[in-house]
Amino acid sequence: MTVEATARTYTITGPEPELWYRDLISCLQATCGSMLAREGADPLAVLGAGWQFLHLPGDVRSEEFYYPCVEGQLGRALAPHHDLSARWWQPADEGDVWREVRERLADDRLVIAAVDNFHLPFRPAYGDVHAAHLVVIYGLDETRGVVHVSDAMPPAFRGAVPIEEFLRSWGSANPTDAQDAFFSDSEIGRRCLDVSLGAQPASLTPELLGGYLRTDIEGFTTETSARTGLAGYDAFVGELMERCRAGDTGVLRDLYPFGWAMQAQASLHGELLRRCGRDWDDAVLAGAGRAVETVAHAWTGLRFTGAHGHGDPRAVAPDIEHHATLLRAAYARAVDAVVAAAARL
Amino acid sequence: MIIRNVNGTAIRAGKVIGAWAERMTDGPTLGTPGLLRLEMVLSEAGNLTENLVPSTRSAWHQKKVLRDACDVMEASVFPVRSGLCETVDISGHRNNTAVSAATETKAGEFNVWRNSFAAEYLPAGGSLVHVDGVPFRFPPLCEGPDNVRCAGQFIRVPEGHYDWIHVLAASERRSEDTVQLNFADGSVDAEALRVSDFWAAPAWFGEIKAFESLVMHYPHHVQRGIPAVMWAQRIPVTRRTGLTGILLPRNVAVHVFALTLQRTES
Repeated sequence: MTVEATARTYTITGPEPELWYRDLISCLQATCGSMLAREGADPLAVLGAGWQFLHLPGDVRSEEFYYPCVEGQLGRALAPHHDLSARWWQPADEGDVWREVRERLADDRLVIAAVDNFHLPFRPAYGDVHAAHLVVIYGLDETRGVVHVSDAMPPAFRGAVPIEEFLRSWGSANPTDAQDAFFSDSEIGRRCLDVSLGAQPASLTPELLGGYLRTDIEGFTTETSARTGLAGYDAFVGELMERCRAGDTGVLRDLYPFGWAMQAQASLHGELLRRCGRDWDDAVLAGAGRAVETVAHAWTGLRFTGAHGHGDPRAVAPDIEHHATLLRAAYARAVDAVVAAAARL
Repeated sequence: MIIRNVNGTAIRAGKVIGAWAERMTDGPTLGTPGLLRLEMVLSEAGNLTENLVPSTRSAWHQKKVLRDACDVMEASVFPVRSGLCETVDISGHRNNTAVSAATETKAGEFNVWRNSFAAEYLPAGGSLVHVDGVPFRFPPLCEGPDNVRCAGQFIRVPEGHYDWIHVLAASERRSEDTVQLNFADGSVDAEALRVSDFWAAPAWFGEIKAFESLVMHYPHHVQRGIPAVMWAQRIPVTRRTGLTGILLPRNVAVHVFALTLQRTES
């Protein structure tokens, strides 16, 4: 139930949304984590349960919250072992863009909204840099003219934003910005994301986690027609190197947001495995978690080599190849470690 | 911090002092037993006792005196580990500016977004600083490059037997890479260099938070609420032969501000 103070004031019941954050995640995992926490689930156990590699050529968008997935399957991509639904929508009525937000808040549901940091007063990029980002809306007070927004990404913020400023951010064209080649030039278009958990996750047991790991390993070691698993990684790197050597700046612009998705996922999966390894006194499982975290850390070298060198892909190609090789080795070691851990569960 | 007295007995004076000093945030004065204990410890250390006579001055002043005492003791009073350490001159390799003044935030370019540490929160440029008893030569600040952004630089070191390479470093996101250690007998080892994110992040690899800028510099403004952190990390030297050089990784995310070698204890 919501508290409807006036006909134009809507807010969720209970406490403000939890600021769920890890230093390698993006606003996508942070906002989904807040939603999951409010639904009584452990965000790490849901968002960290799965681990995969998927690259979709031509699909990458310059947004902090880009995540590769089959059309309409974002929830499944984020949490392949849980009944998580994530669906994008936009206001249906240009004459009343808040209608759906009101409905969801009235139904005691949080709303995840895409925004342009340039127009949000609490973001460091305010008035400076255009960048596509996600925040959680947990209240709308049209009487006072404010939207209540939560954002776990540093500097964490929970509070009121003037509706007019929020509307500029939510409806921004997010134009090309030389200061941010990776998250600008992607229209925000008042997009929102509905995230919901169908069934409450079962308690995580060694047997359950073992099943997850075996499924993920199959994904890593089985070739498919898509760029999945280790073979998919090799295909991705093959294209990356070819386009770098050809001087294609677009490939390094895409590498940063795409790599963030893979890095965030690996970091959460690794952390979950380490936590379970500690809780269940299973050193092999903890070690497998650490090996998966090494994958996340190796993504840093590749992503930032590309980011610093994105203006001159030919010049940076040898270093890109170097880090792609290190990352491939990290993936191989981690898969091996997870196989060993799964065999014991 | 751990201070050792003349006989080599470990005394956790620093931690005791630190804890008392923290308590003074909420309380007006130290209790008499606490001060007596503190004086005894400092007497053992043989220095600074006179600075810690019970004072009638403000809690803030007492806290400051205690903190200064901790710093001075750690830096100069029987620093056993300090005596084994040699700072390494990396000035010829500096190629990046990570620290800027509030009046010229555009000068910094630690990361791809050109964020930087705020100089006002850091030690004086060129000073000898101590982190957990390890001395580091802090780089000059606001005078040009102040750190080595790793690009495979080879740093020659005085040939010697060392146990640890201490590193003052920060990273754009968490990084895990390798350094190559070259030895006089021609042997070469690879060791891990793990550095946590400088951006409002925890010490993921168990480093010590060496210095923290409580604000983040952006090219066009000073941002509150986002700290920038510099970490003290260490790399083991397991081979018992003379180390002659260190090859840094080819990894632009990793920034090294200072290096110190810790000799093998004979």
